[in-house]
Amino acid sequence: MWRRSLRPLNGYERQLDYQHSPSLRGRFIVVGAFTIILIALLAIKLVFDYSERLADISYDRLLRSALLQMDENVGQIEGEITIDIPWSAFATLAQASEDRVFYKVESSSQGFITGYFNLDSSPALPVDYGTIQFFDRTYSGEVLRFAWLERYITEPDASGTVRTVLAHTRLSREEMAASITQRAVELITLVALVSIALIVIGSQIVLRPLHRIEQVLESRTPGDLTPLTLKTPRETYHLKVVINDFMLRLQSNLEELENYTGNAAHQLRTPIASLKALAENARDIGRPEQQRQALEKIIEQCEALSDTVSFLLNQATISHRLQSQPMGLIDLVQPVRESCRAQALTALRKGVMLCFESELEEAIIVGDTVAIEQMMQNLIENAVRYSVLENGVEQKEVVIRITPMPNVYRVEVMDQGVGISDVDKQRVFERFYRGRYDIAGSGVGLSLVKDITKYHQADITLSDNHPHGTVVTVDFPAFKFREDS
Amino acid sequence: MKRFIVWFSCLFASVLHAEPIWFGSTSATRVLYINSTLDMSSFRPLLERFVTRHPDIRVGYIDVNTLELYYLTVSESAQPSASLVISSAMDLQLKLVNDGFTQPYRSDETARLPSKAKWRSEVFAFSYEPVVMMVNKKAFAEIDMPQDRQALLSYIRQNDEYVSGRMGTYDIRKSGVGYLLASQDARQADATWGRMLEAFGSHGVKTYCCSSDIIDDVASGKLVVGYNLLGSYAAQRANNDSSIEMIIPKDYTLMLMRTAVIPKHAPNALDAGLFIDFLLSDEGQSLMTSEELLYPIRASEYEPHFAMPIGPTRTIRTVDLDQQLLVGRDLVKQRRFIKNWELALELSSDD
Repeated sequence: MWRRSLRPLNGYERQLDYQHSPSLRGRFIVVGAFTIILIALLAIKLVFDYSERLADISYDRLLRSALLQMDENVGQIEGEITIDIPWSAFATLAQASEDRVFYKVESSSQGFITGYFNLDSSPALPVDYGTIQFFDRTYSGEVLRFAWLERYITEPDASGTVRTVLAHTRLSREEMAASITQRAVELITLVALVSIALIVIGSQIVLRPLHRIEQVLESRTPGDLTPLTLKTPRETYHLKVVINDFMLRLQSNLEELENYTGNAAHQLRTPIASLKALAENARDIGRPEQQRQALEKIIEQCEALSDTVSFLLNQATISHRLQSQPMGLIDLVQPVRESCRAQALTALRKGVMLCFESELEEAIIVGDTVAIEQMMQNLIENAVRYSVLENGVEQKEVVIRITPMPNVYRVEVMDQGVGISDVDKQRVFERFYRGRYDIAGSGVGLSLVKDITKYHQADITLSDNHPHGTVVTVDFPAFKFREDS
Repeated sequence: MKRFIVWFSCLFASVLHAEPIWFGSTSATRVLYINSTLDMSSFRPLLERFVTRHPDIRVGYIDVNTLELYYLTVSESAQPSASLVISSAMDLQLKLVNDGFTQPYRSDETARLPSKAKWRSEVFAFSYEPVVMMVNKKAFAEIDMPQDRQALLSYIRQNDEYVSGRMGTYDIRKSGVGYLLASQDARQADATWGRMLEAFGSHGVKTYCCSSDIIDDVASGKLVVGYNLLGSYAAQRANNDSSIEMIIPKDYTLMLMRTAVIPKHAPNALDAGLFIDFLLSDEGQSLMTSEELLYPIRASEYEPHFAMPIGPTRTIRTVDLDQQLLVGRDLVKQRRFIKNWELALELSSDD
């Protein structure tokens, strides 16, 4: 009656299933850690660039100061441009303790004056006289940082420019950059690790309410379906509500099942008791004629009982089918017509003629053929049963008709039987309700019909036929192809 | 410049003919050539101890003047004959390193060395060298010996004729260390240096290539005063010769360091490293003291020192082993300095 899992899992399988299930916490940690590592890498890259720039800025200051000290001491002695390099200039450079120093002084008129003759003193950037420019260039097997300055000679009787180039190796810069970077990398790594640790701890805390719900559910007795009253955070509130809803439905389903079983047992007990009474009666009756009559009754009762049982079984089958089988596109005409054909002979034996009327070639709905056949069977049987009761002389007829209506296909089963009172119309769909106890039947036929129509989202109505009898109308929603809508 | 090149070519020729002094067994499998400015008397015990410690190494020792040594090392840069170059001319040694003629060496011993005693792990100082004056005691039998430069100047003034032609100092054109001392003097006290030069010039100072020659002449009485001498040689001689006295100038005392470098492409850099380690080792350093050879670089550990007259109260001007030394060796500065020196001493540049 309910959809069931195929079979319960054993311990090992459950463990496998657990291991292969995606972990919410794991995902949370992985995404968090990944983000943090990404940010950390980005920060480290920035620090690398920054530290190099910072080291260059600091040591370029040294270089600039030394260069200016040299430049200040460029002068003219006996008509010749010359330089007296001050000790302080190189004392400044000695602050970059391990760096090799190269320099060159030349003038436009004299050419090379002093320093390293083969040092490439050409500027790397556009020349702006009097402005120092810095650049990197390889010399003597090492990359050097150059400070370059060319200016006009200011001495009165001299013309042209003097160019001073001072360079040193990048060792101290790299050391400084490395020490900055190392500090920063250490710090960033620490922060990243702490953040990841916090995420790991945090995820535990965040997911704790879920574990609490789990624990509460686990520790419950099997029959306990009362709602969870656990106080949980807002994020798990809906989960709690859904669980409670689910339990409510489960409870109502269970109650229904209990009722059903109770009623079914009750329904079966009555005919069995009457069977027993009849059988005792037959045993005690002396006269064979009456005994025979009694036995006839017993057989009749047995048939009724058998009907009831098969109804119950049908209902179980159909219920299960509706729960477990997905519905598909079907042609409504076909199962209806099949049902008529299948019942036609039985009905004729009882003196009722079945009449199928439909001008439709097919009527596509979403549904289940077997269920619809079952529904039609029940409706036709009922109609036939009620028709037989009418003591008319005319030929008895049950008309089954399918007509297209806007948006729906209407299936009508019309009999000219005794009809159903208005009071009964309200209740015939209740399970085990029997409109008239003089008619054979289990009382479950129409309730199953009701279930099936409900499942197909179809409307079922009862109305009176003319001049007497009943019309059962079922409106199935027509399947609409997309292009039609 | 031209002058240097001329010098260099003759010096180079002379060095090539210099026969090394050999230490160690002839059957040793490895040979280590050392070019050095150290006098044999100060270095022999160290070399002997080294070959005892390393019997598989034979050391060929070639004594070279500081300036010659520099040019020799530069000229041989593609294929050096010596694997170790030892010199008291710190500026030239540092210039070798700066200009890329040497290779780095790292060991436990060099790591132990304070950072001011090495540069770029390519040049290593193994001993100190205070710069001193030396006088002949006979000349000062009745008067006080001058204890600083001012006193020396006034002594010269007062004994005008007596000292004339009887003072000696380095020829800064021929001696690398002589130039270094002069340029450091000029840097430390430019005015005093000018007056010293003037006094030297007007009294016919004699110029020498080496400390030991000056000391010889002071001892023999040819000279009254020797100025700017290397302390270790002076102390050694003064200890053994009662006629001379070493004076540590009180106004300021220059302090040099003797350094060693391993040339790039050195044929036996490995053993050169071993020798540096030996010089810096406890054994080498204590040997310098016990044999009264040199002032060890880690002096504080070996006190009391032989005749080490340098206490904390003295005004010591240690010449830093760093890039500043390059300034003194700037082409223009050097040319001008030597020219001024020649003018002051009334020497002609062809001398």
